[in-house]
Amino acid sequence: MRTGAASDHQGYFHEAVCYGSDEELLAITVPFLRDGVAAGEPTIVAFGAEHAALVRSALPAATAVEFLSGGDLYARPAAAIRAYRALLATHVARGVGQIRIIGELSPAMLGVTWDWWARYESAINHAYDEFPLWSMCAYDTRTAPPEVLTEVARTHPRYATADGRHVPSEHYVEPEVYLAENRLPVPDPLQLTPPAVELADPTAAEARRAVYAAAGGRLPLEQVEDLVVAVSETVTNAVRYGRPVVCLRVWACDDRVVVSVTDRGAGPTDPFAGLLPARDGGPGGLGLWITHQSCSHVAHYRDVDGFTIRLTAGDPHFRTDAAPRAELTASPATG
Amino acid sequence: MITEERPAVPHGHVCWSYDDSAAFDDAARRYLSAGLAAGEQGWYVGPDPAEVARERLAGLPDLDGALRRGDLRIVPPWSAYPPDGLVDPVGQVRAYATATDAALAAGHTGLRVVADATGLAATPAQRDRFARYEHRVDRFMRARPFSAMCAYDRLRLGDPAVAELACLHPYTNAPGLLFRLSACGPGDDCAELAGELDPSNHELFAAALERAELRPVDGELRLCGPRLRYIDHRSLTHLARYATARGAVAVLRTSLPTASRLVELLALAGVRVEAA
Repeated sequence: MRTGAASDHQGYFHEAVCYGSDEELLAITVPFLRDGVAAGEPTIVAFGAEHAALVRSALPAATAVEFLSGGDLYARPAAAIRAYRALLATHVARGVGQIRIIGELSPAMLGVTWDWWARYESAINHAYDEFPLWSMCAYDTRTAPPEVLTEVARTHPRYATADGRHVPSEHYVEPEVYLAENRLPVPDPLQLTPPAVELADPTAAEARRAVYAAAGGRLPLEQVEDLVVAVSETVTNAVRYGRPVVCLRVWACDDRVVVSVTDRGAGPTDPFAGLLPARDGGPGGLGLWITHQSCSHVAHYRDVDGFTIRLTAGDPHFRTDAAPRAELTASPATG
Repeated sequence: MITEERPAVPHGHVCWSYDDSAAFDDAARRYLSAGLAAGEQGWYVGPDPAEVARERLAGLPDLDGALRRGDLRIVPPWSAYPPDGLVDPVGQVRAYATATDAALAAGHTGLRVVADATGLAATPAQRDRFARYEHRVDRFMRARPFSAMCAYDRLRLGDPAVAELACLHPYTNAPGLLFRLSACGPGDDCAELAGELDPSNHELFAAALERAELRPVDGELRLCGPRLRYIDHRSLTHLARYATARGAVAVLRTSLPTASRLVELLALAGVRVEAA
C-alpha cells in the first residue's frame, strides 16, 4: 500500500522541489521523510554533505532515514539509474509498498554537464516506473541557472511545494519525446583547438591506439582504460550502424581528454540509448550504455556533419569564461 | 657497412604466414639453424620434391653434413601427416610425440619442425581439424622438447583462413591478427589469451575457443592474460557462455581494470576476473 500524495498512483511518482531557502527545503523534506518513516516505508536521502546535515538536524533523533552519499551515487547518470534500479528492486523484493527518496545534484552538475543530467531526469520517468517509488529532486532556485529550471519543468511531471501541495508541471514532456530532441552540449574549449589526433574511418583498434597515444600519462590509467573502452564501443557502433565517413578526433590537456566520433548517419533511434541498456538488445545499445558508464561526460547530438558522440575522461567541468586560448591548446600528438 | 635487418624469428610454436617463398625460406633456415645449434633434430616438411627442398634450405650451416648425419631430415608431407590430408588432432600429436622420443633416443636434445601446412588446411573441414590439432600440439610443446614453425601460404588460403590457424599460436607474423589463444603450461589446466578482443574478431575468437576445446578443472576454466591488452563485453559474454556450457566458470587473470568492471556491469555469472 502506498501513502501520501502518491497513494493512488501506479509506478513512479516523480516530483521536483524548487526551493528558495533552507526553510523552504526543510518544509518539504521533513514531512516527506517523517511520513515515510511513520508508514514503515524505506525512506532515503541522497543529498550532499551540507544539506544532509541540515536535514539531520531538523529530524528527531534516531529517525529511521537512510542517508546515501549523493556524490558517489550521482557520478554518472547511467550508473545512478543502474544503482537506483538495483536498490529499488531489493526493496520491492522485500515486499514494501512504497519507497521514498529525496535527492539533489551537486552544483557542478548544473553547469556544462547539465545536458546529460537533464536526460537523466527525463529518462527516469520511464526507468523507475516499474517501482512504487515516490521521489523528489531538489533544485535551489537561488543558484540553479534559469535554463536548468526550464529543463526541470520539462522533465518532472509535478512539483512539491512548501505549502504541502503537489502541482502538475504544465511544461512536462514525455521522456520518449524529450529524449528524442537534439541537445547540443556546451562546446568544450578544447574542441576549438586543433585535435591531437584526427582519423578518418578508423578501426576500433586504431581508435584505441589513438586514445592511448593522446591520453597516456595525462590521466590515471584506470580513467584512460575506461575511455578506451568507450571510444572502442563508439567507433564500433559508428562503423556498424552509422554511415561513413567516421571521423575520430582526440583532444587532451592536463585535466581531461575529449574524444568526438562523428558519422554521417542519424544516430540511434532508441530515445533511452546510453542511459539504459537497449530494451530489445537493439543495435549498439549495450555498447552505448557501457560508454555512458565509462566516461565522466557523454554528449550526443546531430548537426550538419551528422551524428556526433563526444566523450570526456577526467574533469568534465571545464570553464566557459574567456580562458586564455593558450591554456586550452591541445598538445601535439605523441604518436 | 650496411647490414640488412631481418625480423627476429621466435622459437617455440610459430605460425609463419607468407606470400613470398624466399622470405619464408629465410625464416625456415633461421628457425632450423637455431635448433640444430642447440642440438635438436630438425625436420623440414613441405610439398616440394626433396631436391627442391634441399635447394630451399641451402645456406644452412653444414647442410650436407646435417642431412647425412640425420640431424636434419627432409620429410614429405604424406610421411609426417595422413596421406588423405585430414589430420586427426590426437593422433597427430601422438605421432610427433613418438618422433620426439626417437630424436631424444638418437642423442638429440629435442625435435624442431618446419612444416608448410598450406595443403593440410585448404578446405574448411581440413582447417577445422588442423586448428584443433594446432592447440593440442601447442600444449604438447609446453611439456616436451618439441617445437614447430607452421607455415601457411596466405595467397592460397587467404588472410581470414590463415587467421583461424594463426590465432592458435603464441607467436605469429600474420598481418592484422589482433589476438592469440595458446597454451600457457604443460597441463590442460590453463590457456593464455593475448592481444586485443573486439567485434572485429569476435567470430574468430568463438571459433578458436571451440577448437581449443578447453577443459574445466574443478569447475573453473582458467585463462591467463598477462599480454591481454583489450577485451570487450561481447568477448567476455561469449567466454561466460562457453564456460557455462561446460559446467564451469571462466576465470580470467588479467591486470586490465576494465575487464572486471565490464563483468560487474553486465552481471556476468559465467566469468570471474582475477587481478594478475
